[in-house]
Amino acid sequence: MSALELHAILPLLVLGAGIVFLLLQVALRRGHRGALFTTLATLAAAAAACFQVARLLDGGVTSIQSTGLLQVDHRALFICLLLLVAAIAITVLGFSYLKHRCDRKAWADSYPEEFYILLLLTMLGACTLVFASHFASFFLALELIGLSLYPLLGFAVNGDRSPQRDQLYSLESALKYLLLSALSTALALFGIAMVFAASGALDFAGVSAAVAAMAGGPSLLLAGLTLLLIGVAFKLSLVPFHIWTPDVYQGAPTPVTALIATVGKGAVVALLLRLFDRLDLFAVPALTGLLGIMAVASMLAGNLLALMQPNIKRLLAYSSIAHLGYLIVALLIGGSAFGTEAVIYYLVAYMITTLGAFAVVGLIADGAVELTPGGSRPLADSGSDPFHRDYYRGLFWRSPWLACCLAAMLLSLAGIPLTIGFIGKFYIFAAGVQGQLWLLLAAVVVGSALGLFYYLRLLLAMVQRDTEATGTARNGVQIAASGHALLASLTLALLLFGVFPQLLINWINAL
Amino acid sequence: MTLLAIIAVLFLGGILAWLSEHWKDGASRWVALLSLLLAIALLGRYADHTGIATATGSAPLWWDSLQLNWIPRFGITFFLALDGLGFLLLALTLAMGLFGLIATWRDVGFRRGFFYFNYLWTLAGVAGVFTAMDLFLFFFFWEVMLVPMLLLIAVWGYEQRIPAAIKFFIFTQASSLLMLIAIVALVYLHYSASGQLTFNYRELLAARLPPATSYWLMLGFFVAFAVKLPALPLHTWLPDAHTQAPTAGSILLAAILLKTGAYGLLRFTLPLFPESSLAFAPVAMSIGAASVVYGAVMSFAQRDMKRLVAYSSVSHMGFVLLGLYALNAIAIQGAVMQMIAHGLSTAALFALVGALQHRLHTRDMGELGGLWGNLPRLSAIALFFAVASLGLPGLGNFIAEFLVLAGSFASSRWITAVAATGLVGAALYALLMMQRVFFGGERSPHQNSGPPADLAPRESAALLSLAVLLVFLGLRPQGVFDTAGPAVADALQHIDATVAGTPDRYGAPPGDTGAVADAADSRWPPSNPERGISP
Repeated sequence: MSALELHAILPLLVLGAGIVFLLLQVALRRGHRGALFTTLATLAAAAAACFQVARLLDGGVTSIQSTGLLQVDHRALFICLLLLVAAIAITVLGFSYLKHRCDRKAWADSYPEEFYILLLLTMLGACTLVFASHFASFFLALELIGLSLYPLLGFAVNGDRSPQRDQLYSLESALKYLLLSALSTALALFGIAMVFAASGALDFAGVSAAVAAMAGGPSLLLAGLTLLLIGVAFKLSLVPFHIWTPDVYQGAPTPVTALIATVGKGAVVALLLRLFDRLDLFAVPALTGLLGIMAVASMLAGNLLALMQPNIKRLLAYSSIAHLGYLIVALLIGGSAFGTEAVIYYLVAYMITTLGAFAVVGLIADGAVELTPGGSRPLADSGSDPFHRDYYRGLFWRSPWLACCLAAMLLSLAGIPLTIGFIGKFYIFAAGVQGQLWLLLAAVVVGSALGLFYYLRLLLAMVQRDTEATGTARNGVQIAASGHALLASLTLALLLFGVFPQLLINWINAL
Repeated sequence: MTLLAIIAVLFLGGILAWLSEHWKDGASRWVALLSLLLAIALLGRYADHTGIATATGSAPLWWDSLQLNWIPRFGITFFLALDGLGFLLLALTLAMGLFGLIATWRDVGFRRGFFYFNYLWTLAGVAGVFTAMDLFLFFFFWEVMLVPMLLLIAVWGYEQRIPAAIKFFIFTQASSLLMLIAIVALVYLHYSASGQLTFNYRELLAARLPPATSYWLMLGFFVAFAVKLPALPLHTWLPDAHTQAPTAGSILLAAILLKTGAYGLLRFTLPLFPESSLAFAPVAMSIGAASVVYGAVMSFAQRDMKRLVAYSSVSHMGFVLLGLYALNAIAIQGAVMQMIAHGLSTAALFALVGALQHRLHTRDMGELGGLWGNLPRLSAIALFFAVASLGLPGLGNFIAEFLVLAGSFASSRWITAVAATGLVGAALYALLMMQRVFFGGERSPHQNSGPPADLAPRESAALLSLAVLLVFLGLRPQGVFDTAGPAVADALQHIDATVAGTPDRYGAPPGDTGAVADAADSRWPPSNPERGISP
């Protein structure tokens, strides 16, 4: 392993060093703010390392193979950077979440520091997945993400002042994810075994040669690739492999929901891009057909199921299923540079918007945690449940700023101009037209029209004028300054890239 | 820059209005008034262009234009331009905005700042729609005007406001996504054929499309505009939205937003897809005639006054559709005139219904009657606009409907004959409304609360100025025709060229299309200009 190879994976090294440092720091001296600071510093340093490596790549080489396992190129670095920035936002969210729930003075056995360690471990897995060029590293990274997400999803159970109801939901969420994720991993692993049996190779380049020589009919290799794709579809929660999504999203602590919805999916999308690109799977009609069917099903089922959800987190879960379906449309147009650009733009739009939406929801819930009744049964009064749509009734008049942020996020999810979501949708349309995928485009239109209904219903609930005081939480919602800063920067990015998309397009093409 | 300034004044005025309400109660409507007046003053700078440039062909196409780079990646520019048609509709937009503001000066009881924010942003979006000459920018404004309109209906509307608002939004948004696909496909085909990536309206006019594809793209545009217009099977959002919107919102919807659909048909659908439009014309004319009759019949059956006026809009906009697809200068001029005259008369009728609702708290004609005794001024003005709406000679609506019918008779006699029966229906419902509400024995839902107050001088002045305008349009319509003339001629020129079969416009033979599509560069759009090569 040469110095160049080591240099190329600098972001991963920085993350790894940060994890070790944080572990030592916590072992010597516990402290919430200290752990927060180390995490932010690690993430920022890793992001800086991405720029450093990108400069290395500008000198003529397009990609650096670092051992047989990892390959660093511009696209992977860009997505890695994107994930790291998202992780910074999630850290800020997590701080707000833990501050309200893990008070050391009140609860001696609460350990907020664990959250940050697990978050960094997830990030290490996600970044490794983005760089993976070998089925071994692919599998390791996927497992690392999964293993660190299980305790994160169940974080409310341990050392947390959440009501017992939330703790039960959190436990359910962790358990469901554990079971279904294990199932999907087993499928993917079986697929990898079959690919290995058929091609005798585990690195992407070796498998690529076998794929190119693959005959048209059924074969072991095709079966292996299909199983692999199903495993990936589980992680992306494409229909019909989406059943875990709403429960997991609803039960998890909101920052973790944001993590699984953005970083968890973004990394897998990057992997899918690379897999299809390197193995040239676009030429295999069985796989593109499978993806196409899953995309249509996700757009329709996701939007239809979201129609009836009064719980905001479940609603966002179904909406994220639909959005992944849109994204697959851009992926399906083939290995062209434009398709990749469309996927990445949509991914950026999706991540900014989803983060923003979960940030608002999470911060509002954090502000309300002390006012929410405890107990283990579901709340009878939907107006006092901070995740219920009724809680948002009239929010626009109580907390105009928070409501404006959430409104911007919802409009972006719905793809209305002035927001980044519109440009993302424009990219999807442009990609679909280029690939002449009329059926998929029809599904996008139908899905968007359905989606409008539930986004608008939430939006209009927020501007409802009849605000009869029913619960205790009828006053403005108080959130921390860090939360305000986070929302301001997400909203600003959403509007900036929505009105001047050329800035982002240049970055996507430059890095 | 003046065009940009008009739009910017409205956008910024909206933000300022919102903020100003925090500082001083009631300040927002003064801010709204000032920004509208400023926008009108800015538009007034173009007034000396009106009426000239018809005789000579030498006048430049645009009175004014502004082109800035926006998204070079897709060849999208920020391209605003104004011609006679745009000027007329922009003037209508601002004038009706001002009218709606003054007519409902005291009606907005709560959240005034936010109300005027939405009001001005809707106007700004519409102003953008009428001036954008880049298809992407057009679509952008087309969508921007929707959200504030949605909020106007959903927050300040009447009983059933939420379902009405959502219905309005989903209809318009879903149809406009079809238009977005059509726009992108049009640009893509143009790019495949010419290697030039652009959303510029002028350059896309030269696009050569295979006929079958062109027909589908034309339908994509048509559906979006027909929903907005609204044309028959796609009109169901309109009665709900108009009825549930607050008075000022109804005025905006009826007087201005419906016109964006007609404008889109005239500006984009006809010139961009001449051959398909020609093939589609009988269908569109039939839809128009059916809307005329259907709107009139439905209007006749309403008890709710606001619904009655709303359905009458369906009927009147049917004339616009009929006239546009008659594809001759007379009928299209009539359609343009109808857009303006209908804007004025319907805005006034909505203002009057709003005034009644404000005073009597009902719009149900079954509960009203004999109002002339207590409200002579309001009733007299209502009579004027009712007969204007039914097309009394001497008023703008008559000129419009007459020209539409005269022009489309040449294209299709039977369809025109059917549409003409709509005039009878108009007389029926308009006079029936007058008879039920204003004449006859006095009936009022609040007998014991004393007689309601008649129109205030402010309301009377606003309504009378519209009446004067309608009379002026009825007696001297030539100014409108001269102003709109070049734009109409320009739109028709493409149709005429198609009819004549000139090869330069209509070049690509059908068999050629596959080859063109295959030759399409797989790296579409081309690599980022600022980088030179694709990553």
